[in-house]
Amino acid sequence: MPSPTGIVFDLQRASLDDGPGIRTTVFLKGCPLHCTWCHNPESQKPGPELAFDAAVCTSCQACVTACASGVHTFDATGRHTVGFDRCIAAGACLTACPSGALRLYGGEQSVEAVMAEVVKDRAFYTASGGGLTISGGEPTLQIEFCLALLQAAKAAGISTCVETCGFAPRESYGALLPLTDLFLFDYKATNPELHAQLTGSSNALVLANLRWLHAQGAAVRLRCPLVPGVNDDADHLRAVAALSTELTGLHGVEILPYHESGTGKYERLGRARPPFAAMVPDSAVLARWRETLSAHGCRLSPGTTDRQPDISASP
Amino acid sequence: MNMKCLPDLSLDAILAGAPFGESYASPLSFERHLTEVHRAHAAAYPAERELAMLQAQFPAVLQPIAGDDLLAGRIFYPLVSFSPEPGGLGYACREEAIRQVLAECALAADDVAEVEVMLEYWRPRTTAARTRAAFPAQVAAALPSDNWFGEPGAGFPLYRIAGTVLDYAKLLRLGLPGLRSEVLARLDSVPPEHESGPFLRGVLGACDVLAVSLHTYAAQARALAADCGEAGRAADLHRIAAACAAVCDRAPETLFEACQLAWLYALHSGTWNYGRVDLWLGRFLANDLSAGRTTEDEALRLFCSWWRLMKAYDNQYNNRVFIGGLGRGTPAEIAAADRFALLAIEATRRVHLNQPQLSLRFHSGQNPALMDLALTAIGEGCTFPMLYNDDVNMPAVARAFGVSEDEAVHYLPFGCGESTLAGRAVASPNGVVNLPKALEMALRNGYDPVARRFAGPRTGDSAGFSSFEDLWQAYAAQAAHVVAPLAEHQRIEYAVAGGEAPFLFLSALTDDCLGRGQPLLSGGVRYLAATLETYGNTNAADALHAIDRLVFRERTLTLPQIVAACDADFEGPAHSAVRRALLVVPKYGNDDDSADAMARRVHEQICRLAAEQADRVGLKAHLVVIINNWANVVLGSHTGATPDGRRAREAFANGNNPASGADHHGVTAFLNSLVKLDPCLHAGAVQNMKFSRELFTRHRPKLEALLTGYWASGGTQAMITVVSPADLAAAMAEPEKWGHLMVRVGGFSARFVDLPRGAQEEILRRTCYG
Ligand code: SF4
Ligand code: SF4
Repeated sequence: MPSPTGIVFDLQRASLDDGPGIRTTVFLKGCPLHCTWCHNPESQKPGPELAFDAAVCTSCQACVTACASGVHTFDATGRHTVGFDRCIAAGACLTACPSGALRLYGGEQSVEAVMAEVVKDRAFYTASGGGLTISGGEPTLQIEFCLALLQAAKAAGISTCVETCGFAPRESYGALLPLTDLFLFDYKATNPELHAQLTGSSNALVLANLRWLHAQGAAVRLRCPLVPGVNDDADHLRAVAALSTELTGLHGVEILPYHESGTGKYERLGRARPPFAAMVPDSAVLARWRETLSAHGCRLSPGTTDRQPDISASP
Repeated sequence: MNMKCLPDLSLDAILAGAPFGESYASPLSFERHLTEVHRAHAAAYPAERELAMLQAQFPAVLQPIAGDDLLAGRIFYPLVSFSPEPGGLGYACREEAIRQVLAECALAADDVAEVEVMLEYWRPRTTAARTRAAFPAQVAAALPSDNWFGEPGAGFPLYRIAGTVLDYAKLLRLGLPGLRSEVLARLDSVPPEHESGPFLRGVLGACDVLAVSLHTYAAQARALAADCGEAGRAADLHRIAAACAAVCDRAPETLFEACQLAWLYALHSGTWNYGRVDLWLGRFLANDLSAGRTTEDEALRLFCSWWRLMKAYDNQYNNRVFIGGLGRGTPAEIAAADRFALLAIEATRRVHLNQPQLSLRFHSGQNPALMDLALTAIGEGCTFPMLYNDDVNMPAVARAFGVSEDEAVHYLPFGCGESTLAGRAVASPNGVVNLPKALEMALRNGYDPVARRFAGPRTGDSAGFSSFEDLWQAYAAQAAHVVAPLAEHQRIEYAVAGGEAPFLFLSALTDDCLGRGQPLLSGGVRYLAATLETYGNTNAADALHAIDRLVFRERTLTLPQIVAACDADFEGPAHSAVRRALLVVPKYGNDDDSADAMARRVHEQICRLAAEQADRVGLKAHLVVIINNWANVVLGSHTGATPDGRRAREAFANGNNPASGADHHGVTAFLNSLVKLDPCLHAGAVQNMKFSRELFTRHRPKLEALLTGYWASGGTQAMITVVSPADLAAAMAEPEKWGHLMVRVGGFSARFVDLPRGAQEEILRRTCYG
């Protein structure tokens, strides 16, 4: 039986913030949530999708002739419009474009192709206690591929992490359990209505999955994206701390301070950015989070709130 | 390290210039005096002529003890001089600088006329001129110019005996009297008229020259102390006076005496790479500490002062101080050396200068405290120490030089990163090769579009190449056209320089000169080797890879299309489309198998081509080095657009790094690409890395793991700049606030704000990891 393929939109080597050690993070497409602050809007739709960078476009119109679906049009004033809804992601315009204004997020990849990249950094995994992290999107939306990839990594002796938003069927977690050395489990808001408002769904399933995984003895690290003024209320911070004391087997809690690196992407994908006015937390805000959390006995992973959100991405 | 091998001469200093110990009536009168000394000894034995020059130069070129110097020893070379390198090769006359002096100061007409006579005298008589005059016709034809800085070309000769590292352990063990005794015993063992007589007597004379300088400094220190109202400073000066006097008569006994003797010997020898300093000073430090003669604080104060003196002996491309590594003796000796090494790193943290170039050799069994403190220093932005992995380098050096691993334990990178074998080899880098230029000419049947003439062999019209191998053969032939004559040049240069002078100070501390009774370059040195600087290796490889892929595999472009696009510097829609296609082909530095395979092919070809010249011309080894100073910028400025998408006149990639910004698959991919180039084939390749400060703070364990993984995969060395891109941009905008910011340029470190704009931009473009 041929091994399943997946829709991968990025493979990031030398990841330092996706689990222990130095890791290769494989980003799978598709997500059941739509968080207002999402930095990876290109991850949300399940299939490959086109992105257009107007700033680089030279209006040469090569894409117009290249595209069989008539996605690229120019009006009388010479304005380039992209009909994203007509795009079938065939990619002909990418090769035609001389300026690199077009790209495709997501491509079908086999387990073998992904593993060929992953094994290249074995020396660094060994030295650092790192390995493979599967992220997204939400990896469980491609559960077959995800499992096959984890199996291949295990067979190659490479340690595995899965990053999940928690919003997935119980069976998926059951299948992942024996193949996953560490779950990086997102926890975004405590108030169910707020959670629904910010992500599109309630947190009931998320919390149930978290407790279930913990009860199975899975290694789980909680990851909490915090956006000042949006989900950093004292109740939520207290609840995070409470989870960390309740779930005694938890492998630490990580804070992910909001940063602005994803903001240009919505436009390039032809989507409106969710109405969202957030600010990047300054060191005073970071200190307040840290204090509140520690005051309530939260076991933060070392170094987690020291992260300077503005320099966490390398150019 | 060929860019500016001469210390920066400030005109003010020359004009003010009454050299130490003597006073001269007018500018350039000292140069005229040295010229007369040379002329008077034209018919003398080479050793006698050299000794006469040394006697005339020393102590005159030495500068007074200044400020709060804790050691005596500052030097300032005149514009006519004898030295292996600092003043120019052998007997050297720096006509350009002399003309500058003439232009800027009003000399009497008689004096100007005398200076013109002097310049006339030197033109055919400098060692460099004699070397070029000795070129056979085909070498001269293939290497028509020495002006690599100002003219396009694929290969250029350099003139110098660079990078020799002397046996200071022996000097400190024997002291000056012991060294003399060894020479005397050797003289006794040969008949009176034996041919080694003049050489050995010359070495004795050189010892006397050093002793005179020591006495001169002792007297100056005493005089300064007498005038000094401050008790602490007076004590320092008395200590200098006592040490200078003592080491004339006996071997050094204290750390201070040992430093003083070694430092002055180095200045007299004209070498500026000091070898394994922890090895030769560790025991003095340990003895002084256990005898209570000094404290760690006091030793640190001494090293900081010494470091500043090295900075004053300004050569950012050299001034190497080595610590750590295999072969440092018994466990007790290693412990003593480690103690020195830790203080040396501490001194580098304190002085925070771009010199000395502190370098750490390490191996898997080494005291981890050394690497730990080294990473702390690097993380603070020192750029030092540079890191060298003995576990990989020793076997590599053994194979490259064709020596046993016992000998390879003495390997030391000098200058920008070329390896030599300390105390037993000469491996001067005396040639520059521009590989993208070789490709440029291979694509144009030997025509250099920048020089606008046929400079290379006619390797065929590239439009007719039917396979990649046709192009490859043409490229290899263009490279060979300069590499083979450069090897001959190297051998000729050694022969001419050896005929001119025995290089007494170098010979005295290099095996097996005294034992054989033969000078360094005339049969004395155990391994007469050479290195060849190649530049643009990465651009040549990326360009060949893009051509192979697009022209011969995918067949989406033709060679004439690519050549036309390069000739147009990719201007215009059709040519920019070609550039876009060239740019999207994967590049070296991304752990891409096919791009890296081409990088390896280019690497192996040029390394083998250079190495196979050694036997032919009579050298122990003739090895490529992939280093950098400015040459990537300079040679790039004489090279048109290249098929890797690089625009005309842009800088080449640095050392064997990826082209700036071409690596975008993360630091592990970058490191994996680096280790694919076989280190057993060359004598050093610099590996520059730009890491964020965060990697050293928040991610320190991951940083350590990253380096551990790299070393384990075969990483040879690392030169690390720690800085954020935001820092660099801010420094360009407001240089006055960023005087402290140090960056690694390739083979050397510099204050970022001192770099020319082009080099600043190049560093800014380099990928920053973490
Ligand atoms: S769960 Fe993650 S990928 Fe999905 S929408 Fe939220 S932030 Fe984006
Ligand atoms: S081909 Fe590229 S540059 Fe040309 S119009 Fe289309 S998107 Fe713009």
